[in-house]
Parts: sequence; structure tokens; C-alpha cells
Amino acid sequence: MGRGLCRRVWAHRHFYVFISPFFILFGVFGLYPLVFSFYLSFTQWDGLTEVTWVGLGNFRNLVHDELFLASLWNTLVIGVLYIPPMFLGAFVFALALNTGWLKLRGIFRAAFFMPCVTPMVVVAIVFSLIYSEDSGLLNYALGKVGEIFPPLRIEPIAWLTSDRWFKPAVALLLVWRWTGYNMVLMLAGLQGISTEYYEAARIDGAGVFQRMWHITLPLMRPVFVFCAIMSLIGTVYMFDEIFVMTQGGLGGPGVSGINFGLYLFNTSFADFKFGYASSMAYTLSFFVFLASLLILRLRKSET
Amino acid sequence: MFLCFDRLRCWVWAVLVVTLGVCLWAWGEPLVLDPPTAPGDLDADIEVWAWNIAAGSLEHLTPMFNEIYPRCRVRVNMNGTNVQSRFLLSLAAGVGAPDVMQLQVRETPRYSMTGKLTDLTEVAKKYEHDFPPSFWQDCMHDGRVYGIPWDIGPGGIFYKRSIFEACGVDPESIVTWDDYVSAGVTIMKKSGGKTKMLCLPRGMLVELFEPLLQQSGGQIFDKEGRLAINSKESLQVLRVMRRMLEMGIGANINFWTHEFLASLKSRAVATYVAGAWFGGTIRDDAPTTSGDWGVIRLPEIEPGGLRTSNFGGSTLVIPDQCKNKEAAWRFIEFALCTKEAQIEQFRAFELYPALLSTHSDPFFDEPEPFYGGQKTRRQFSLDIDKIPTMYRTSNWVETERYINQTFSRWVNDRMKDPEGMLAQLEEKLSRRLGCGISPGSLSLGGRD
Amino acid sequence: MGGWKRYGMRLLAHVPMAGLGGLFVFPFYWLFISAFKDRDQIFKLPPEFLPDPWILENFARVFRETHVIGAFVNSVVIAGGHVAFALFLCSLAGYAFAKFPRAPGRDKLFAFVLATMMIPGAVLLIPVFAVLCKLHAVNTYWAMIVPGAASAFGIFWMRQYASENVHNDLLDAARIDGCSEFQIYWRVVVPILKPALAALGIVLVIGIWNNLMWAFIVLRTESMYTLPLVIYLLQGEQRIPFELIMAGSVVATLPLLVAFLAFQKNFIEGITAGSIKG
Repeated sequence: MGRGLCRRVWAHRHFYVFISPFFILFGVFGLYPLVFSFYLSFTQWDGLTEVTWVGLGNFRNLVHDELFLASLWNTLVIGVLYIPPMFLGAFVFALALNTGWLKLRGIFRAAFFMPCVTPMVVVAIVFSLIYSEDSGLLNYALGKVGEIFPPLRIEPIAWLTSDRWFKPAVALLLVWRWTGYNMVLMLAGLQGISTEYYEAARIDGAGVFQRMWHITLPLMRPVFVFCAIMSLIGTVYMFDEIFVMTQGGLGGPGVSGINFGLYLFNTSFADFKFGYASSMAYTLSFFVFLASLLILRLRKSET
Repeated sequence: MFLCFDRLRCWVWAVLVVTLGVCLWAWGEPLVLDPPTAPGDLDADIEVWAWNIAAGSLEHLTPMFNEIYPRCRVRVNMNGTNVQSRFLLSLAAGVGAPDVMQLQVRETPRYSMTGKLTDLTEVAKKYEHDFPPSFWQDCMHDGRVYGIPWDIGPGGIFYKRSIFEACGVDPESIVTWDDYVSAGVTIMKKSGGKTKMLCLPRGMLVELFEPLLQQSGGQIFDKEGRLAINSKESLQVLRVMRRMLEMGIGANINFWTHEFLASLKSRAVATYVAGAWFGGTIRDDAPTTSGDWGVIRLPEIEPGGLRTSNFGGSTLVIPDQCKNKEAAWRFIEFALCTKEAQIEQFRAFELYPALLSTHSDPFFDEPEPFYGGQKTRRQFSLDIDKIPTMYRTSNWVETERYINQTFSRWVNDRMKDPEGMLAQLEEKLSRRLGCGISPGSLSLGGRD
Repeated sequence: MGGWKRYGMRLLAHVPMAGLGGLFVFPFYWLFISAFKDRDQIFKLPPEFLPDPWILENFARVFRETHVIGAFVNSVVIAGGHVAFALFLCSLAGYAFAKFPRAPGRDKLFAFVLATMMIPGAVLLIPVFAVLCKLHAVNTYWAMIVPGAASAFGIFWMRQYASENVHNDLLDAARIDGCSEFQIYWRVVVPILKPALAALGIVLVIGIWNNLMWAFIVLRTESMYTLPLVIYLLQGEQRIPFELIMAGSVVATLPLLVAFLAFQKNFIEGITAGSIKG
């Protein structure tokens, strides 16, 4: 039996050789770090001196750490602020690009997708210029609107320096950034729906909304689920935007701007609390994993 | 999952031992120059990280340095983004750290404790008594010296003469913080609300809290590293800050932003509570305002109390990975331990020298046209030796950040119940940092 | 009559679409013209929508005074190395998984590969950094190229594509001709995989070129910095040189943007192919 196995393995040796680079790399940069990180979550280590074992101390501190909880809250709020408009926008644009009569489709697609190929650094810097309280374009534009329509007049908004407006400012940036990406995915999904369904529905006398409700939405479910999970993961671990816009990663005024990704980075590479950061990362990854499973269930449940 | 638990534990121990070994091996040797290289023969390239005007002054000194050490080339890197992160990452990675690093006085102990800085005791101990004791303490760890004090920030109030004159405020009348607040209210009224007395960013209140706390003799940590922030001194300072915020005399402008620097030239803000080095910033960013400035001594918290405190200050250290330690040391020695260099930095960039021997120089008694003829240098030098030491720990910066966030929330909550806020802050910090609370703290029923 | 109305309404619908499209493009436009403005002009209100005059000096200065050129080279090397390495690794493994059905344990190994897709990167940051420190590989090109290259997603994609498009008769013919397995891979399979490689390559390029966080962590000396890192660090210079940051940002953004506009179809295909089948 053993010799038979050995012979078969040797016969297929090229298979193992071909897949070995992945496994070697994964071993060094995936598995070992994964386990090491798990171990670290039970220790205190500043990366420079010695490692001290603290058992469940990190997890206990995590529960009481209001900065951690505040960062989760901020992440949630940002997610709630930007994901619905983005999804809606992406879907509407995808529908528009999918119709036969829209001209210059390629140009629209390019325009909406362009934000996705830009480095986040650049996006954040440009937006922080636009968001500047007294010399930014946004406040200027809002001021002009206020001049033309007096009832809409408002004070210049401190987008990046006030507790109230920091998260909406970030959310707006994220909508701009990710709508195109999701639009492209949804467009592909729409194009995958056979037109026969629509024909049949039209013959049966179904109106536009009924066609949407009974055909489009159900058949788009896999795409929506995929986008939802990508958005969830992206929101939780989002880093670049706030890191760049708040120069030095302070995370906005007070605690209103720190999101989880930034807090994790600060704990790891500004405070150099490797043990605590590992416990934080593991805890949150676990919850994200559960949430992803939940979303996936939506895909499974068929009507 | 993939391994049995015993094998996992062995593996874990192996990692631990290796890591420990690497770290122990990496703990440096003290710098000994035996025999020292002759100045003309010392041939090296050194890189210095510094920021702001401090960096400028080091660049300014380089030609003077090269007269003595002609073959030492110095490059000053002035980038300030995330300096702490970048430095720590480089220390951990063993590559990329500069040969000479500027550190704030308050974070020097943190880095000394990592063991990644060069032990300078052998070459530096002869200079110990040339510097004020509290600053020298900040450069030491476990009896060894790891840095040299560079400049200090004796505190004062920089005010704009034109605004004070226009609003009828007499600078001599500001003796206590209550006087200061009243003056602020007057200026607000007279300017129709357009001119605020100072910059008081709600998210960075610790920048004012800490010097005032030091002024009143309070502490954040006690000598053993336990929390002592819940004290009557802290409450006193909070009371002062609360009055400022309630009276609305503080502008919510973050320090060092575009807006902050612009306010130096405009009438938006009347005064700046800062250390002596701030003059250099004003000169650099608002040179046209020369002559309009004056400096008042820091107001007392209690009647007859100390009228100065420390607002920052820096040290220079040598990371252990430096390949040109002798050259790096010579540069630091030249820049910080010689009277000529320190006076030159003071003259050109208003970096207030920590080197005590400079304080007797007649330069300190010259009237300064930038300040309308006032002799601010001598004024700043008064009572420096009376500034109380602040006990620092390795998580100082994190503590400050946490205090900032707590205060910011307190302000949002309309500043009610400062006693409760302080007690909670202390307890939360204690848990967060894993350190105890000092027996003298109010939470433990300490002295009243 | 109804026809005209419908046509009119459809034409009208283009207006809001164009408006929105314009809003999406506007930041790029603003970035581009700001790169040609003086520092004060960038902040001037009312805003100048056309620089007057067009200042070319920002670009000259950014090339002279900052490390943008060196960073560009670094970015290219790192992006090229990473993509080449990852494509090689993923196509090799993907082909192996697709075309060696009788290798013992193949299915279990593939399931393992899929499982690794669920590992969140956040958990790996610190330990991978610690590993690189121990290997003395921090501040090298390898530190950027290697860690992310073991992409399970890439293997999955390649396997999918290979199993559909690589026909066994071709492989058998090549074996009969006496080619070694690696030669078969290189000469027969890779050409067939080209479209998938292109699409995967594009996805990888976007990720690695724009990466800031990992670059910030592992690149420790100026000579090694990538473009996004240099742009980011410019914000910390004395008297933030906004005009240089704008010019540098244009340099950082232009390559991918131009590539995107030229090869739109491939980009889109790259993004969608992986997701729909997944």
C-alpha cells in the first residue's frame, strides 16, 4: 500500500513540484505568521525587547478599551453612510450602462471606473484639498449655492476637523472611489442575465418594476452577495484614506475619525504593541468571518 | 489544527528563544573612543533626522562643524511625517535609522528603554553638570546616558502688541491665569468676537495641560511609574482650561496646520502659550510681523507660584545600528556641548540652549527688535532650575494621546464633573497601560 | 408621437448621467490642473479652473528635488517583479491542479488552497514584518514582491481557465514529442493562458502599484521608496509643498490611468472574471 502510494507520488512528481512554490511561500508568509500571530495575541511584545506572556490579558483589555470600541463604531457608521448610496449608485449606473440606448457607454464606464485605478494617497490628498474649511472647493461651491438659493445658505463646514462631519466626508470619498468598481461587477452580472427571461415576462404583461423585482434582483443575488462581502471586508480594514487625510494617522478630531484599520495600524506600528494588536486583529477577523458566512447564507437561500 | 499541541508549544518556545536571543544579541555596546580619531582624519557620512527649525539649525551648523572635522559630511533630513513610526520601524528592522536622531525630551526615556540606542555614558558623562538636572534625567535610563539635551522650552506668552494696544490690555497686568482669561474676554469684546486669545484645539488639549501641570508641580506618573494624574494640581489646571473654554477665548485651530501658521500673520489670534523656541517659528513663517511681538512670563496658577514651565525641548541620540558612531558623537558633541554652537543656534534659530554655561553670555541681555526691544532671552532664563522634574514612562506618547482623546470628549460633554472625569481617566489608563495607581492619588483618598 | 417623446426622454436622461460622470472625473481634472499651478494659486478662491499661467516648473522641481524618479523606478521594478512572480507561481500551480487529476491528494490540497483565501491579511501584518526582520529582508525589493505573491485566488482563477481551455490532446502530443513537463508548461500552456494571465496581472498591478501601507512598513530608506510612499511623505516636508505633491501625484497616477484608458476592456474583464465565477 505504502509503496504503491510512493510510486504514484513519484509518477506525479511534477505536480508536487509545480504546486510547491505556493506551499513554500504560504508556509513562510502565511501559515507561520498566522500561528505566530495567534501566539502573540496572548503576549505583550514591543517588537524591540523581550516577549512577555499575559494569557487572556489582552482580550480582557480589549473589552474595556473604549478606543477600540469607538473605532468599531466609527467603522460601522462610515460603512452605513457610504455603502447604501454606493450600492444604489452602482446598480443604477449599471442599469443605465446596460440599456441599449445610452450613448458613449465606454466613456461613462471609464469615467466611473477611473477612481479605482488611482492610488488612494492621491485621492485622499486631492479630497483633503477639496474639503479644506476655508480654501476648499466644496465649501466654496456650497457657499455659491447658498448665494443663489438663500434658504440653502449654511456656514462653511469644517469637513475634516469637526466631529460631526469627518465621517460623512470620508463616506463621500468612499462612494466616489468604489461606485465604479461595484458598477462594473453589477454590469457584468446584468449582462449575464439572458434576455429570454425579459422577453417572456414582457409577453406575460409584466411591467418594468415587476420585471426588476422578479427577474433582475433574484438573478443578481450572487453578484450582490459578492459585492457585499467585498465591501464589508474593505470597510473594516480600510486604512489608506484616513491615514493620509489625517496626516500622521491621528484619525480625525478626537475619536470621531479613527476606524478599525487605522487603529490596528497605530497599535501595531506607532505604539508598537504587537501582542495587543494581534489579539485585536484575531478578534475582529473572527467576527468578520462570521458576518461573511451570514451574508453567504443569503445567497444560499433560494425563494 | 495541523500540529499536535505539544509540537506547537515546542515550536513556540523555539521562536521565543530565537527572538530573545536576537534581541539580547542586539543590545548594544557602550560607545568608547579609545583612542579617539584625530579630527582631520575622521572620514564619514552621517545622516541626521530632525524637524522644523531644529533641523534648520543643524544644517546651519554644518559648515562650522566641517571646519573642525573637514571630512565628515552631514546630511539633515527634515521630513516630519510619522517620524515616530518610521523611526521605530527602522529600529526594529535594523536598517534605515539615521545616525543621529532628534527626539522630544518627553519620549527619550521610551527609546532608551528599548536598548536600540547607543550607550553614550563613557563619552558623555563629563558633561552631566553642564545641563539642568531634570533634562539630564530624561536622557538617562538605568544609570546609563543615551542622549544629550539639546534645547529646552521655558514657557511664556507670545503676544501681538498691536492687538493688545488696540484693545487696551496692559501686558504687565497679566500675572495670574485668571488675569489672562479676563484679558482674553476683553479682547474678544473689543474685536467683536473676531480675535481669540489663544489657539486651544479641542483635540490637542494635552499640549497645554502638561506644561501647566508641570508648572504646578503635578505629575502624570509618580517616581515608580504609577499613575498620579488624579490630583489637586490636575484639577487646578483643568479649572483654568475650563474657564478658557467657557469664556470662548480659545480658537479651535490644530497646531502646526496651515491655518495655525496663517494665524501668526492675521488678527485671528492674539497670543500663543509656548516655549522659547516658538519665536523661531514666528520668525520663520511670519517674518513681516517683526517688532509687533512681546513675551509675558507664564501666569501663575497659584498666587506667588512659579512663572515658568517647560514646553518641549529635544535631545539627540545615536541609534545602535549607526555605522559611524564616532562621527555621529562628534557631531552631537559639537552641536550641543560647545558654547559656540549652542549660542549660534540660539542666535540664528531661537533654540533655547539647554547648556547652562551659555546662560551667562551677554547675548542673553541684548534687546531684541523682533520683540519691540524687549530682552526676552534673559526673561526666559529666569527660574529654569526651579522647573520640577516630570516623571516619564515608556508609554508616555500613548498616554498623551489617550488623555487628548479623553479631554476632547470631556469638552464635548460640556466639561461637567472634572473630578469624575479625572478619576475615570486614571482608572482607564491604569488598566490600559497595565500600571498601578499612586497612593497619593485622589482616587485612593490621597492627600487633599 | 410616443416614439418622439420616448426618444426625447432618453436624450434627457443623458444629462444627469453626464453630470454625474463629470463629478466623478472632476477630482482628476482638479489634480491635473493643480499640478500646473503655483502653491498659492491652488488655494485661491474663487478657484481658477484653468491655470494662468501654466507653470511647468512644478514637474521640473519634483524631478530635481524629490525622489520621484527613483521611486518611479522602484515602483516599476516592484510591480513588474511582483506580477511576474505571482503570475508564474499561480499559473504553474493552477495548471498543475487542473491537469494532473490522478495525483494523490490533489483535491485535498486544492481545498486547502481555497481555505487559505479566508485568512484576513490584517492578522499577518505584524508577524510577516517580524519574519522579514529576522531574514534581514526588510528594505529590499523582495519584501514587497514576495509576501503577497502566494495568491490562492490567482491559483483558483488559473485552474479554472486552464481546465476549460487547455486540451489534453495538446498535452499528450507534447509528451509524446519528448518535452519535459516544465517545457510543456512553458511552451504549450502559458500561451493558452495569456488572456487570463493578462487579466490577473492587471488586478495584481493595480494592487501593488497603489499599495501604501506595506510600503510604509517595509521600505525604510529613501532609495527604496515607491511612488505612493514618496507622495505621502511629501506631506511632512517643511512648508508642505502642495504644488510638488500635485505634480508628483500626477506622475504616480498617470501610468495606470493611461494603461486603463488604453486597455479598458482587459481591466474590466480582469475585475469581473474572478468574481462572477466565484
